[in-house]
Amino acid sequence: MIEFRHMQKAFGTSVVLKDINATVNEGDSIAVIGPSGTGKSTLLRCLTYLDPPTGGQIFVDGEDITAPGCNIYKVRQKMGMVFQSYNLFGHMTVIENIMYAPVKLLGMSRQDAYDRGVELLKKVGLADRTLKYPEALSGGQKQRVAIARTLAMDPEIILFDEPTSALDPTMTGEVEAVIEDLARAGKTMMIVTHEMNLAKRVANRVFYMDEGIIYEDGPADQIFNDPQREKTSRFVRKLKVLEFNIDSHGFDFVGASTEIDRYCFKNHIPLKTSNKIRSVIEELCVQILLPVVKDPGINVCVEYSEEEEYTIITVKYPDRFRPEDSGDSGEDLSYRLLKANTESIDYSYDEAEGSTIVMKLR
Amino acid sequence: MRKRNKLKIHSGLAITLAILMSFIGISGVFVTAASEDGGTRVPVYKNLEELSGKRVGVQVGSVFDKIVEEAIPGASVEYYSTFPDEINALKASKLEGVACVESVIIQLQAQDDSIAYIEEPIGAVPLGFLFPKNEKGKKLADQMSEFLTNMRESGEMDRLMAVWNETDESLKPIEDYKSLPAENGTLTFVTEGTFPPFDYFREGELVGYDVDVAIRFCKEYGYGIELKDMNFDALMPAVQSGKCDFAASGIAITEERKEKVYFSEPDYYQDAYVVVLAADRSGGSFISSLKDSFNRTFIKEHRYRLFLKGIWVTLAITVMSIIFGTLLGFILYMWCRKGGKPANAITRFCIWLVQGMPAIVLLMILYYVVFGKADIGGIGVAVIGFTMTFAASVYSMILSGVRAVDFGQTEASYALGFNDTQTFFGIILPQAARHFMPTFKAEIVTLIKATAVVGYIAVQDLTKMGDIVRSSTYEAFFPLIAVAVMYFVLAGLLKLVANKLTASVDPEKRSEEKILKGIKTK
Repeated sequence: MIEFRHMQKAFGTSVVLKDINATVNEGDSIAVIGPSGTGKSTLLRCLTYLDPPTGGQIFVDGEDITAPGCNIYKVRQKMGMVFQSYNLFGHMTVIENIMYAPVKLLGMSRQDAYDRGVELLKKVGLADRTLKYPEALSGGQKQRVAIARTLAMDPEIILFDEPTSALDPTMTGEVEAVIEDLARAGKTMMIVTHEMNLAKRVANRVFYMDEGIIYEDGPADQIFNDPQREKTSRFVRKLKVLEFNIDSHGFDFVGASTEIDRYCFKNHIPLKTSNKIRSVIEELCVQILLPVVKDPGINVCVEYSEEEEYTIITVKYPDRFRPEDSGDSGEDLSYRLLKANTESIDYSYDEAEGSTIVMKLR
Repeated sequence: MRKRNKLKIHSGLAITLAILMSFIGISGVFVTAASEDGGTRVPVYKNLEELSGKRVGVQVGSVFDKIVEEAIPGASVEYYSTFPDEINALKASKLEGVACVESVIIQLQAQDDSIAYIEEPIGAVPLGFLFPKNEKGKKLADQMSEFLTNMRESGEMDRLMAVWNETDESLKPIEDYKSLPAENGTLTFVTEGTFPPFDYFREGELVGYDVDVAIRFCKEYGYGIELKDMNFDALMPAVQSGKCDFAASGIAITEERKEKVYFSEPDYYQDAYVVVLAADRSGGSFISSLKDSFNRTFIKEHRYRLFLKGIWVTLAITVMSIIFGTLLGFILYMWCRKGGKPANAITRFCIWLVQGMPAIVLLMILYYVVFGKADIGGIGVAVIGFTMTFAASVYSMILSGVRAVDFGQTEASYALGFNDTQTFFGIILPQAARHFMPTFKAEIVTLIKATAVVGYIAVQDLTKMGDIVRSSTYEAFFPLIAVAVMYFVLAGLLKLVANKLTASVDPEKRSEEKILKGIKTK
């Protein structure tokens, strides 16, 4: 149905996609995953020609869309795109947003388009919002309307570009449910997402993207449970997640704790664990390290693996200082608290890198 | 929403009225009825020496500045663009004296008993007709000189001057110039009609000594004549650019001017004096002076007709400029959208040019330079000029309006399969319109006010008509406030129309029925 042949995409001198080769078949529900900046969204945007590829070919139903003279507007009608930021037409009501393209592009009668629109709105659970303007809807509702708008054109494939990233965590569920319904109905689709839950729920095939290529392409079960390649494995197991720097003695720890809480909430980390994470960072960084280091340049990185339910907190700083060396009693108490909350604490020092503490929590 | 708007209109009117009343209150002090006797009045200053160190008004473009400097050492010369402005400044104590010629003082004193003059003349001024410096101008100047010499020798000139120096308008007939046979072609004569008794408006028609002489000359030499009114400082450029065949407006003959235009023999020598306030001037009561002002401004000589004509001209220029300017601005935008770098560079340069200069300068350049030789009237040039300025604003408006629409809208439209044109007209423009409509409405009000400068290119709009009326009544406040109120009303009306129009195209103001037109909802 869709075939990428040595497709390339560069923005100026930076090559984002080096060599993309893949075939998408009917009924495929592909989750496109991978670290940030590896060109996942760019892949979809090249396919829809919103960002024209700079090399190679893309075939849609056998037609080379990179060939000059190809009517890209017709090709786009076969592909529906759902954007991260919804992009509903602000000057139209919900029903008009859905009716607009079928009436203008497919020549559907207004009555038919309306009936179909209402049917689609029922499907996404928004039948009572037909005459509202987008600005009156919540994020989740907007995204569901956007999906209905895409469906109204009856596309052969639906492309989701991070459909839940802009949403409040409380609203991702309603959108994910709609996408899951579509997947279950056998709709062909590609989803670029950071939400592993969503990927697992809807995908029957996964593209893991890294190094400018589709690094690993396989059935969802295999990629998530038994990835064949090293980088995929690391990515699927671990979620490197939260990173911040403590760069002054007057560091805003209240702000940082809020940041940690938000991160834990978003990644469904149990409350007990999230309390531990916060406590460990506070004891180590604020109570032990901050008073002794001369030039604060403390880097904190929290990685949480949902798979194996453990958290690794890595703290790096330039001074050569072991946390257990903290002399007086107050800090000694902090160190004991630290020990109580962690499974292991490993200290290492390297001339170039400085001190590194790796703590494991369970 | 509607209620709040009404409230706004009401409070706006109340404020306007309050300002109006306070102005009339002030003007009441200065406005005085014309006295019947017209006998000699005692001036505040008896001789010229007393004016040393005082402010004396002269008209821009006249020769009085040099005369005053010579005759009254130590006086500071202040420039005003019309004679009535000088008189109003005198009455408002912004000036201590105003230089002018004898005939003007006679007319002035008949109108206003607060005016006197210092009996010592400050000099003699030869007044003449101006002709363009070309072959035709030379020929006409010679003919006019011949005509004037004959008139002087036969005593006709003095007789005619005496007629125009009368203070009773019914004694000053003017010939029907429109039916002159014109076997040698028709000449265009321009003057500034705020200068009685030489050139002024009576019953909406240009009359006066200069006009009378010009008509008699044309009759004698077989020309037809067309009369045109223009701002005083625009007269010289009008003659130089050949926009007219000859001009006069109590213009003094000087060596400097002779380099640029041909002069006829003087059509009269006049002594110049300094007008000052009378020592024993009286003030009228507030109500009677208000009634008197109203009568003189609107009723006398059917002057309301002048205002109506002015309103019509102002409205016509504004509305046409809005329509053409919007179209042109839109076309420019569309051209630049597709035109790439050269189109954008050209457009940006033109807009920079148009927006970078005052509207008056643009109009003068268009009138005297660009269309100097073309046969386009002042109104046409005004519409062209304001179309350009309005188009520049419309272009900028659309540009910023379109930029304000999130690019995601374009991408979503493309992704659905719409092409560029469909996307622009169906998705982007309607949303951009919501951003620029408020500015558009504000620009309309700005435009109608900006048109007030068209008097410089011989267009008699509302402001110019106000000037003409003021030149007959020597009164600043009442005609000015009347004009201000008329502008308020006109701007209000245009805004109302614009509001109705924008509301009818605003997608969010549509009713449910309209949105679902032709659809059965079950």
